This record gives sequence, structure tokens and C-alpha cells, in this order.
Amino acid sequence: MSVTVNTVGETRRSAVLPWIGTAVRLGLAAVWLLAGASKVGDLAASGRAVAAYEVMPYDVAKIVGAALPFVEITLGVLLLLGVATRLAAAVSAALLVVFVAGITSAWVRGLTIDCGCFGTGGQLPAGQTPSYGPELLRDLGFLALAGFLLVRPHTRISVDAMGAPRPEEEQ
Amino acid sequence: MSSRAGQKRAAKVVRQQMARERRRQRTLWTSVLAVAALVIAGMIGWGVFASQRADEYHAPAGATADGSGIAVGTGPVTVDIYEDFLCPACRQFETQVGPVLDQLVADGRIRVVHHPVAYLDRASTTGYSSRASAAAGCAADGGRYGEYSSALFERQPAEGGAGLSTDELIRIGGGVGLDEDTFGTCIRDGRFRSWTEHVTDLASERGIRGTPTVFVDGQPVQNSADAIRAAIDATGR
Repeated sequence: MSVTVNTVGETRRSAVLPWIGTAVRLGLAAVWLLAGASKVGDLAASGRAVAAYEVMPYDVAKIVGAALPFVEITLGVLLLLGVATRLAAAVSAALLVVFVAGITSAWVRGLTIDCGCFGTGGQLPAGQTPSYGPELLRDLGFLALAGFLLVRPHTRISVDAMGAPRPEEEQ
Repeated sequence: MSSRAGQKRAAKVVRQQMARERRRQRTLWTSVLAVAALVIAGMIGWGVFASQRADEYHAPAGATADGSGIAVGTGPVTVDIYEDFLCPACRQFETQVGPVLDQLVADGRIRVVHHPVAYLDRASTTGYSSRASAAAGCAADGGRYGEYSSALFERQPAEGGAGLSTDELIRIGGGVGLDEDTFGTCIRDGRFRSWTEHVTDLASERGIRGTPTVFVDGQPVQNSADAIRAAIDATGR
């Protein structure tokens, strides 16, 4: 085996990256847990927040609104424990893409709603302007976290890593 | 090249392959479990929501036939008002437009249907919107909806706090001429809580996204006195 100068740098990279991954994973877990917890207390309001986007009939929005907080909390728990991290990251990314699309379409159609991302939601009182820009930037930031985990799902202190040989030791 | 070294290498390859296969199996099964957990969580959410909604409701006296609100007045033009007792814009609406509507009711021109929705339960620590709306149902049952509603808006608590206590809700009722015993029992028993849910659900279904929202003869109208008066005049009645 030939040792090149490059391997030293790569070894350091592979030592640090899983720890960065842990931070990213816990950060995204916190996002989902907070988002879910803020909605779970009033599922009817969550349904109204979904309906406010006017992209689906109220009866469907009602179901989506009731299910969403529970799915968000479950995603948060999966990421917190580091169970099926790549899958959880993929579902997170998919959800966030839907949220970004929803907010963008609300913006384009000129609706005046609160995104309902962390509780509240629905129509804004007259005279209040929506803050779609910051909401979108925030969601894109979360999407970046999910993207990181999708590419590098192997993180330290996770159930995924327990009892399984580290992937880098195999090659 | 010794054959022993070759055997060792072969054994290592086999071990690696087996380890890889185990890892693949593990990933597969955790993924299946995770997907199942997400699906089940979603179904639990729907189940919890469905079980929270009462099938039956008991509407107070003065309620419309569909139980969606409390009717005041008998004029030919119907004005629907969707409001939440915790919503500051509703309080503003009540102080500015309320007297105009009262006059129109007194003149026999309109019938006002108040829909006290509970949209802002999360904006207080005690679900004040629901509690106030159910209390207003009790007031309607005692024949004092308008008076009680005005008094509640006058004493509207700030968003984010605990709202008015049950005792305060009862005392305010006494202040507008309701019998505090009957009224108090009605509130404490939660007699109209399921009605509040019914009112809120019907409003959500109708597409009411915020409060206050006003309709004149079924048509959405801006919530200003001028706009409402113009819409009433336009009906020609």
C-alpha cells in the first residue's frame, strides 16, 4: 500500500466530519421537534394553517394538518437518536421542499398568510405584511442541513453506528 | 507466495463480505422500521384529531338552524361576523363597527349572525378562545349574547397570557344581567364547549382563514363600517 501525503489530510477530515454530522443531525432534530410541538396542541388550527395555502380542499388539509405534527415529532426523534439517518434526512428534505414550494406559491399568488411553520398560521390581520422571504431562507437553511445528512449519514453517537463496523474501516 | 498467506487473504475477504451483508440487512430493517414509524405517527395524528371532535353538539338558545352562530335581530339582510374573543382586530372591529350594526339591527334592516370561533387557542395558555366562546354560548342561552360579547371584548386579555379566569367570566356575566348561578354552572359544566368546536369547524370548512371576517348576504365584505353599509344598501332591502 502506498501512503501519500494526502491521506493525512483525509484521515483528519474523516475524523472531524462525523462529529459535524452529529451537530447537524441534532440541529435538524431540534427543528422538527419544535415545529411539531408548536402544532400538536391544536390540531384543528394546524389543519386551518394548511388550508390557508389554498392548494387542497379543506377536508384533505384537515387530515394533513392533523398528521403533520406527529410526523415532524417522529422525524425529530429518529434524528435525535440517529436511527435510519439517511432515510430521515431524505424525508426531511422532501418535506422541506414541499414547504418551500408552498410558501413560494403563496407569495406568488399574493396570499397574506403566516406560513404556520412553528405554530400560528392562517390569514394575517389586515395591515400586516407576510414575511415570506425570511421564512423561505430559514427553510432553505434547514434543507441544507438535511442535504448534508443525506450525503454523509454516518455520524457519531447514533444508533446507526452502534454495533456496526464503521464504514471507513471496511474499505 | 505461500498458500497460507493466500488463505488468510481469502478469509479476510469473506469476513468483509459478510460484515457488509450484515450492515446492508441492518440498514434495510432500520429503514423499514423508520418508515413504519412515520406512517403510524401520521395515522395517530389523524386518529387523535378525529377522537377530539365531538360528534354531537348542543346549541344554545338563539342559535341559527345549522348551529353555526347566534342570530341577533330579524332584518331582511343577513350579516355574518366571524370573530375570536382573543383577537385584537376583532376588538377594534367591535368598538368601531359594533354600534353601527346595533343601529341597523334596531332599525330592522339586518339580522347579525355572530360566529364566536376559537381560532387562537394557542395564543393563550388556557385555551381562552374556546373558553370565552363556550361562555358566550351560555350567555346566549340566558338571552344576553350581545351584551356579554361586548363586555368580553371590552375586557379582552392580552395574547400570550392566561386570559380571563372562569370566575371572571362568570362575574362579567353577572354584570350584564345574567343569573350568576345558572350561568356559572353552565360554564363550569362546559355545556357549550362542543358547540364552540362545531362553530369553529363550520367556519374552517367555509374557508374562514382569519378574524374578523364579514359576509353580507353570503358575500365577503371588507370589515369596515362603510364597506358593510354599502353592501347592505346594494341589496336594495
